[in-house]
Amino acid sequence: MNTIEELKQLIHKTFAIDTETLKADAPLEEYGLDSLSLAELLFAIEEHFNLDFPDSSTGIKTLAGLSQLIDDLKAAKAS
Amino acid sequence: MRRRVAVTGIGLVSPHGDSPAMVFDAVMAGRSTVSRWDEGLTEPAVVARAPFAVERWFTRLQLAGMDRVSQIAVAAAESARTDSGLAALAEDAGIFVGCGMGGAAAIDLAFSCHIGDRRMPPLSVPAFMPNAAAAHVAMRMQVHGPVMTYSVACASAALALAEAAKAVAHGDTPMAIAGGSEALLVPSVVHAWQALQTLASPAGDDPSQASRPFSSDRSGLVLGEGAAFLVLEPLEAAQARGARIYAEFAGSGVSCDATHLTKPNAAGQVRALTKALGDSGLTARDIGYCNAHGTATLVGDVVEAEALRSVWGDDIDRLQVSSTKSTHGHLLGAAGALEAALTVLAIHHRALPPNMHCPNQDPACGLTLVREPGTQAADLSAAISNSFAFGGTNAVLVFRRAD
Repeated sequence: MNTIEELKQLIHKTFAIDTETLKADAPLEEYGLDSLSLAELLFAIEEHFNLDFPDSSTGIKTLAGLSQLIDDLKAAKAS
Repeated sequence: MRRRVAVTGIGLVSPHGDSPAMVFDAVMAGRSTVSRWDEGLTEPAVVARAPFAVERWFTRLQLAGMDRVSQIAVAAAESARTDSGLAALAEDAGIFVGCGMGGAAAIDLAFSCHIGDRRMPPLSVPAFMPNAAAAHVAMRMQVHGPVMTYSVACASAALALAEAAKAVAHGDTPMAIAGGSEALLVPSVVHAWQALQTLASPAGDDPSQASRPFSSDRSGLVLGEGAAFLVLEPLEAAQARGARIYAEFAGSGVSCDATHLTKPNAAGQVRALTKALGDSGLTARDIGYCNAHGTATLVGDVVEAEALRSVWGDDIDRLQVSSTKSTHGHLLGAAGALEAALTVLAIHHRALPPNMHCPNQDPACGLTLVREPGTQAADLSAAISNSFAFGGTNAVLVFRRAD
């Protein structure tokens, strides 16, 4: 499973949002996520992927952006 | 100018359920909700849990950073509004919430993450802050008036109701939803209560009978959880819109013992009882029923009986008393609201909830207890509900028939 698919599954598990409706480039706000639920999502992602987001990551607004950041952090960790 | 205040709505998430009529029937029948709890505890306990279907009230997204104490508060407050027949609250309505502890599950989780060196849930603080429940109710109902939280241990919800009734009576707010919420049945908190040596023993043959107010063999209180809210509005406004009026909120009395952090004091309770009668313009003889604080601690029940006897004097035998904690346990910061609701329903239905599990009344608790389930009281016109807190604060609420 690629990172975006894994993220969609995680969002479904965390917030019961249908994976079919999730689009890679749509702002997460469109699915009803506000700053608090986004914080909870970032926490769930950190737990799931065993990563620590840098403080600067809070500006990310889309699944594609999140996915890219996760891949970058995984690569940095592996190197 | 003091306006008369009516109780026009009741909303519950309680150990006996969420429908006021069914809850009152169950309480009248003397059905206990107390059961034994072993899992995850070092020592077993007896508790009264409130059944709650969270998915009926919230999407998963709405639950981000929302502790159970706020979830049940929103559900009970919304139910009270629905029960009142109001399609919406006035924009400048007030929300008055009693809560002893805040989000106990969130506190429990945060500390276990800290101690276990695990990632800290980022929304722990807004989940466990004591005023979270009130804030969630305000957001759900879109009201912008005074949104207040009263954290006065076991008197929290009674205080919230007393203050809300004053705000409505004095015209500070056109209407209010007031009550309380508490949800602290998590292992660390129950463990802390066990260490205080005030809880009922789970040792008996039938754990459902562990809450034994005024009984000579009582062993302590049973922790419960739940939320209860009343809709308060000016009596004239309620009559004008043809609302069902459960009862009139006749008055309240508040005092502090200022003697001991946990041991109650009869003189302090007498002060609150006397002030409540004075505030309501009623005399002791007018009061037909007392929903006692009656936690079933060794000291507490005796002191409350002494205080009631002191105020009622020769009329004490005319006062029918029961502690409904015998069947729903002690809801702590929500106790005053659930018990106020039951007191209001007692007046509305002209029926007296029984004091269960008291086969042999402690002679030191010389009160006339409502002993039989299903006791009717055709001439019941006024009743009080007592809440006496750790910290010494006492609150007494007075309700009367509105007609």
